[in-house]
Amino acid sequence: MAFLRLQNIVKRYGDLPVLRDVSLEAEKGEFVVFVGPSGCGKSTLLRIIAGLEETTDGQVFIDGADVTDVEPARREVSMVFQSYALFPHMSVRNNIAFGLKMSGMPKPQIEEAVAEAARILQIEPLLDRKPRQLSGGQRQRVAIGRAIVRQPKLFLFDEPLSNLDAELRAQMRIEIARLHRSLGVTMIFVTHDQVEAMTLADRIVVLRAGRIEQVGTPSELYARPANMFVAGFIGSPRMNFLDVEVVGSSQGAVTLVHPAFPDGPVSFPISRPAPMAGERVSLGLRPEQLNLEGRGRASLAATFDIAENLGGTSHVYAQIAGGETINIAIPGQPRATPGERLLASFDPQDAYLFDRDAQAL
Amino acid sequence: MTSRTTGRIAHFLGLVLVTACALFPVYWMFSSSFKNQVDLLAAPPVWTFTPTLQNYVDVFADPKTLNGTINSFIVASATTVLALLFGTPAAYALARFEFRGKADLWFWFITNRMISPIVLALPVYLLAQQARLLDTHIVLVLIYLTFNLPIVVWICTDQFRSIPPELEQAARLEGASQFRIFWQLYLPLGAPGVAVSAIFSFIFSWNELLYALVLTRRAAQTAPVAATSYMSGYEVPWGKIMATGSVIVLPVIVFSIIVSRHMVRGLTMGATK
Ligand SMILES: Nc1ncnc2c1ncn2[C@@H]1O[C@H](COP(=O)(O)OP(=O)(O)OP(=O)(O)O)[C@@H](O)[C@H]1O
Ligand SMILES: [Mg+2]
Repeated sequence: MAFLRLQNIVKRYGDLPVLRDVSLEAEKGEFVVFVGPSGCGKSTLLRIIAGLEETTDGQVFIDGADVTDVEPARREVSMVFQSYALFPHMSVRNNIAFGLKMSGMPKPQIEEAVAEAARILQIEPLLDRKPRQLSGGQRQRVAIGRAIVRQPKLFLFDEPLSNLDAELRAQMRIEIARLHRSLGVTMIFVTHDQVEAMTLADRIVVLRAGRIEQVGTPSELYARPANMFVAGFIGSPRMNFLDVEVVGSSQGAVTLVHPAFPDGPVSFPISRPAPMAGERVSLGLRPEQLNLEGRGRASLAATFDIAENLGGTSHVYAQIAGGETINIAIPGQPRATPGERLLASFDPQDAYLFDRDAQAL
Repeated sequence: MTSRTTGRIAHFLGLVLVTACALFPVYWMFSSSFKNQVDLLAAPPVWTFTPTLQNYVDVFADPKTLNGTINSFIVASATTVLALLFGTPAAYALARFEFRGKADLWFWFITNRMISPIVLALPVYLLAQQARLLDTHIVLVLIYLTFNLPIVVWICTDQFRSIPPELEQAARLEGASQFRIFWQLYLPLGAPGVAVSAIFSFIFSWNELLYALVLTRRAAQTAPVAATSYMSGYEVPWGKIMATGSVIVLPVIVFSIIVSRHMVRGLTMGATK
């Protein structure tokens, strides 16, 4: 049986549904990341696992036991809050030791555990400071320290890095990955940031409006998104979507037309039953799968608009016939000028197709 | 001169004026307590005079003053302690729990202060008489609690609401009991509100005159009642009254200074991002 199991979780605030029938399993030692747009219920789900919020319906199992009605402290779960939630009137040392004191651990052992956590997180010189005397990154480490000393069965992180600057964020990301490796504990991590999701996760859970859209490893979600929402959410820069018409279909292939195809209809491989001729579908092309060098068996005729230079790579924005704007990620910098005509090439087998209900084809 | 300096000077003068208005009666009380009866009744009032300690000697020679001060201290301290003891947990409940009738309870606390005290003076007197509580500390403490509890509850509820709820949740996850959360999080972090309500409660009970006058005779007579009691008869001994007033004011000032050290802002700084 899975280490953490959520079974048909429903949560409503009054009449407002926040989680609608969420079921999920996580193995021991797994790093699971929840992603989704703001307000989709990520924090709520995390708080339900922690026991800080009651479920309207459904059950939570941790390590084989039904903990749905078990109080938070008994679940052996630690949480790093979106806002850190350090106790402002206590020193760093007492913040970290708080839970151990509550559990009645003898003093010498508490000191040992605090020292060990401080060493792992490199906050030894800060132990006698108050939270207000710390920087954002240091506070975050203290919050993690408070979570790890209790040696919980399960770690919950609610967007812990969201208020840090880019550099510190990257650094803390690596530290969390390292922590996960050395502790070997199941971790659930909520984030908005899909780089964090892709780099940290063993498995990503994509949530939207209180429902799970898809669960899978980062590469699975990248390679085989179940629908347009996941396809648009995973991968940066965002996937381009074109509205195309089906003109012909056969076993394993579909022929599509779009005004921007320079040589008429293009045939795409397809694994599911093909839609009928005359139907409209969405064609998804990742910016990094498009190139300006003519590689690939298909292309889009476009007009160069503007480019964002990221140093090593550039994002080129170009208009195609039909008024849509596409984004092309290229190495180096484009040698085009605004208004110049381009050909954005790609391989039809790299493309993604979605039916009218936004489901992958 | 720039308009900015003019503005500053005007600001300064305004503050001086307000401060002077506020402090003048206090100054007059203190200075009068050192005047003899002739200087006190002089018209126009005299500003320079030979100070005398005679009023204080008279006041302390009269056992009423010392007794009154002791009684005031007992009543005010007991009221303040009890108001905090009952008021702060109530405030915590109102700030952080959802329960039926919460809004009604809240409103009820307000209604307690809507009635003019004098309206209730006679019924309270009769009740106290029936309960044989006249001229005791207990009756004063009980009646002052009805005034002070709502103040403590209001101020502290507001203060506790400003404490981020994640702190409580973090403590719950760490295994802290409800009582511990109240004791180790809400009281220390709500200290400014608790201090303000303690000062209000103490000052109110210390200075209250109406109920003390109605409900006490001798044994439980408080300091303000003692001060006014000198007014009986044909003569008004202003010097003695002012000296008693000065003696009464001192403990309140000391108490306020001690407690106000907890009235710092930003106690929860650093708790959240
Ligand atoms: N106590 C509450 N009462 C009513 N509605 C609530 C409450 N808490 C959360 N919600 C609603 O539930 C929904 C999900 O909230 P939640 O905090 O889980 O979102 P989230 O995915 O964590 O968002 P974010 O990424 O912005 O943190 C939101 O629409 C929010 O308005
Ligand atoms: Mg959230």
